Amino acid sequence: MLEIKNLHAKIIEEDKPILKGINLTVPTGEVHAIMGPNGSGKSTLAYILAGRDDYEVTEGDILWNGKSILDMSPDERAAEGVFLAFQYPMEIPGVAGLTFLRTALNSVRTKRGQPELTTPEFMKLVREKGAELNIDVEMLKRPVNVGFSGGEKKRSEILQMALLEPTLCVLDETDSGLDIDALRVVSDGVNALRSPERSMLVITHYQRLLNHIVPDKVHVLSDGKIQRSGGKELALELEKSGYAEYQAA
Amino acid sequence: MNLAVMKTKAEQGLLEAFQSVADTLPGGADVQKARREAADRFENLGLPHRRIEEWKYTDLRQVLKEALPPSIGDSTELTIADVIVALGSLASLDAHKIVFVNGAYRPKLSTPMDLEGLEFSPLSSALVNGESKTGLTRTSGPKDDATLALNTAFMSDGAVVRIHDGAELAKPVLIVHVRAGKEAFSATVRHVIDVGAGAKVTIVEAFVSLPGVTDEGQINTASEIVVGDKAYVTHVKCAVDKGAVTHLSNWMVRVGKEAEYRGFQQTQGIALARNQIFATFDGEDAKLNLSGAFLGRGGDHIDTTLVVDHVVPGCESRELFKGILDGHARGIFQGKIVVQQAAQKTDGKQMAQAMMLSPDAEFDSKPELEIFADDVACGHGSTVAEIDEEMLFYCRSRGIPEEKARVLLTESFIAEAIETVEDEPVAEALKMFARGWLQAD
Repeated sequence: MLEIKNLHAKIIEEDKPILKGINLTVPTGEVHAIMGPNGSGKSTLAYILAGRDDYEVTEGDILWNGKSILDMSPDERAAEGVFLAFQYPMEIPGVAGLTFLRTALNSVRTKRGQPELTTPEFMKLVREKGAELNIDVEMLKRPVNVGFSGGEKKRSEILQMALLEPTLCVLDETDSGLDIDALRVVSDGVNALRSPERSMLVITHYQRLLNHIVPDKVHVLSDGKIQRSGGKELALELEKSGYAEYQAA
Repeated sequence: MNLAVMKTKAEQGLLEAFQSVADTLPGGADVQKARREAADRFENLGLPHRRIEEWKYTDLRQVLKEALPPSIGDSTELTIADVIVALGSLASLDAHKIVFVNGAYRPKLSTPMDLEGLEFSPLSSALVNGESKTGLTRTSGPKDDATLALNTAFMSDGAVVRIHDGAELAKPVLIVHVRAGKEAFSATVRHVIDVGAGAKVTIVEAFVSLPGVTDEGQINTASEIVVGDKAYVTHVKCAVDKGAVTHLSNWMVRVGKEAEYRGFQQTQGIALARNQIFATFDGEDAKLNLSGAFLGRGGDHIDTTLVVDHVVPGCESRELFKGILDGHARGIFQGKIVVQQAAQKTDGKQMAQAMMLSPDAEFDSKPELEIFADDVACGHGSTVAEIDEEMLFYCRSRGIPEEKARVLLTESFIAEAIETVEDEPVAEALKMFARGWLQAD
């Protein structure tokens, strides 16, 4: 279970607060959506969950399965099961996708007290996951995300997610830059990973992603705070009325 | 006494060393004459210093403190197992090996070279047998270069290789130089490689050392390579050493019509390196790809200086040099592209990039374009960067610990240059060397 308690945060070296007291609980096995206008703090929340050190938490706490993760490094959080699917996945020239993933998976496995996978074991796993998610694993022979289309980058994120087997998935604007076909493949991938042991936080500006990934709950984030929470129908309502009423006058 | 002609200790040492070994160096009368002329040339030139534009960043007169005694006909006992240990990542490369120990050819450590399409003789024999072909007694590099003059004066051995027209060698030719023993010495080698028309070959020069070898050493190496029309040549030099080693290197490359030459140089663990490449297009529509990786830490000083001369029309040249600099290491890249008036439709691009791991490291990059033709596409670029923090966060968010992520990212940075080597087993071995260096920190 993810518990965000009165979370205040700002960018280091800047005074302006971005998150101004977020309270949010995502029970294990549920999918929650966070919707909000641009500049509301959605991506900041995603980065802070993953442990990016450009931000400073000035107040509050984040508990994952009852443990505070604020003092953990990003790699420690990954080992604890936290995974952030990036809005703009990084390109890493010179590192083959497979090398990157095997290094990541074996780092995480070591920290989780599991034995490292040999190359054949790893390859078998990659092919299995690729087949389950309907993602061609050939792209992993190329350098990480280099020259990938928007859709390929997001597919590669989902494949990474499937391999690392996180228990908390944070998806930051996963629908951005996707055409309708790519959106379907990515959403199907996410849906295939839904499980009673896994919590998901889907961050999006638009409602359309939530037609494909149907959330248990929807929260509206604006001006650094959760302004309203509701069921999946709240997304449809927002699609009609927009965010105007939640934005600071 | 005139201060201008005062010799440094190293200059004096070099001239004295020449006097004492001249009679024992291989070669007939014409070779001896060429050696003496080269020694005279060096006496006039002295060691290059910072007031010579090309040597602005690498003042040999200042940094070369003494001349180590020349090693000639070395006979240090070595086994094939020793060579394998010295070769490290390259040991498993399936190749025709030509092995030199402390600058002397060792047939017993080498692969038999009775190959179809290839002729080989050690320079020490070729000089004696009077095969004074181009390249044996003179090179096509600049006449006023002191390091080349020293090479001609002292060259004691090397590989003379001829690839027949149309021959395609399935395995690379690996020229191995092993530094071994407790005595500090200097070794001077010269390779002459003649690739026939339409031939295809990969040549790798490896400069390595045996564990426990003395920390000091001076290498002066020169390779003259002529690429025949429509030939395809991959030429790699990999200098992997440790301690206070000085590595002076010259490549003189001539590329024939419609030929492709792909040169790559990796330098790591060398205290002082000057890698010079002089490339000239002899025929139209040829391609030249030069790239390199330099890894320096501590007080290492690694200089790459190249001159690409577009003499004829329609040729393409590409350069990509990448370095990682830590401690107060210094990297230098000087890349000159000359496009002569006749060389219309020239396409030349150059890039030099350094990643700095320490605030005290230094990278000096000097591109030079001299263009006399009007219909050309030429460009150059240079960047200096630190590790990309966003990439680092991306790796860490996937569970890769920070230190491992840093190695991965530096390795990926340098791998981009290494991947220009098309021969995969060779490229893999070069990456392993780089990884070893990165992890040794």
